[in-house]
Amino acid sequence: MMVNSFSQFESPVFLTIPLILLALILPWAFYPSPSPRWLSNRTLTLQNWFIGRFAKQLLASSTPKVHLWATLLVSLMLYIISLNLLGMLPYTFTPTTQLSMNMGLAVPLWLATVLVGFRNQPTLSLAHLLPEGTPTLLVPVLIIIETISLLIRPFALGVRLTANLTAGHLLIQLIATATLAFMSIMPAIATLTSILLLLLTLLEIAVAMIQAYVFVLLLSLYLQENS
Amino acid sequence: MFSIQQASALKGGSPLGAGLVQASRSLHTSSQSLAPVPPLPEKGGKVRHGLIPEEFFQLLYPKTGVTGPYMLGTGLILYMLSKEIYVINHETIAALTIGAIAVYGIKKFGPDVAAFADKLNEEKVAQFQEVKDHAMSSLVQAIENEKKEQWRVDGRSMLFDAKRNNVAMMLETNYRERLHMVTNEVKRRLDYQIALQNLHRRMELEHMVNWVEKSVISSISPQQEKESIAKCITDLKALAKTTQAKATA
Repeated sequence: MMVNSFSQFESPVFLTIPLILLALILPWAFYPSPSPRWLSNRTLTLQNWFIGRFAKQLLASSTPKVHLWATLLVSLMLYIISLNLLGMLPYTFTPTTQLSMNMGLAVPLWLATVLVGFRNQPTLSLAHLLPEGTPTLLVPVLIIIETISLLIRPFALGVRLTANLTAGHLLIQLIATATLAFMSIMPAIATLTSILLLLLTLLEIAVAMIQAYVFVLLLSLYLQENS
Repeated sequence: MFSIQQASALKGGSPLGAGLVQASRSLHTSSQSLAPVPPLPEKGGKVRHGLIPEEFFQLLYPKTGVTGPYMLGTGLILYMLSKEIYVINHETIAALTIGAIAVYGIKKFGPDVAAFADKLNEEKVAQFQEVKDHAMSSLVQAIENEKKEQWRVDGRSMLFDAKRNNVAMMLETNYRERLHMVTNEVKRRLDYQIALQNLHRRMELEHMVNWVEKSVISSISPQQEKESIAKCITDLKALAKTTQAKATA
């Protein structure tokens, strides 16, 4: 059991009890359920406002058929963003650093958008494989390229999220270790690295939120394309 | 009633008895779910340093005074550090960084976010308040209109009196006009009769005069006419002589 920089990403197990389930369910505790009151407290008001605003902004320019996916997309976004932001806290495990989890989210959802498109309007979905206005000579090549780009989408979705978060966490760990190592030798350098760590943490918080949004946005775009 | 029976049956049982009571109670089936919920408190619970409830400090105050909880906290932290229960590693530095960012963010943006949330609620209340105020003002307006209508109805008798006067005056005027007309017509008829009589008299007079002239002229014989003419000529000559004499003298 070698301890290396990647051991923070191992699925947590405590006395042979896998804690991954706890890590996955934890975001549920942070969202208050809608109350039967007409005027509620600040948390619930802000949560409702945010969800409404986000859903409208995501699905404003889409057909009512796409609006059926609103619940799924908004809850997916909230889940990923809370997993990412909770992972910023010390000593926490971020499930979205695991490729298995992200592929588990990306592949079924992407496949669903493709199958919905093929089921409802197969001609239009196949037509997406060839952009408009291409010269006749390039048509065979372009179809192959578009098919490859279509098939690579789930991998792109999953790997994007995994790579961003893993890289961020790794960087934070490395720079924090560097700061700790320098604190006893050269405190001045430690100050510099701590400033670097501060900026990096700010970036990581932004990345956490942006990556969640991008995941959901791309899924909604694939859906609009295919619906 | 059902839940109370269940409670008594299960309470004396296993440690899971209380949980079983709650688990078997179905949600929203009795009409208790329709009762109005108690109102929310105005402000949240008081918290010191953003994390520790004020009640904890009040709990320790009688025994350890004001500095009690702080001593407890410091002692705990130092204990965990010195016994290496908590080891300082890279996560500590990361925790300090995140903590600083969190504290800064909350201090800077907290009041604005709270004001925004309050504003959302206020807008909701203001909308309904506006509807209520509008309804109330329209009702008040309706009451005023009704009172005005009643006042108008009270003045109805004055209106009728005025109308009655008008009608009487019109009748009077009409009667007088007709009286005038009758007088004029009668006068015209009488004038006509007078004119007719005058005409008769004049015609009789003229006729008489013409008859007298005619008879006189017819009564003058030719001899008499010659004599009268000769006399006139001698009279004229005499007259001429006298005037001539007067003229030369």
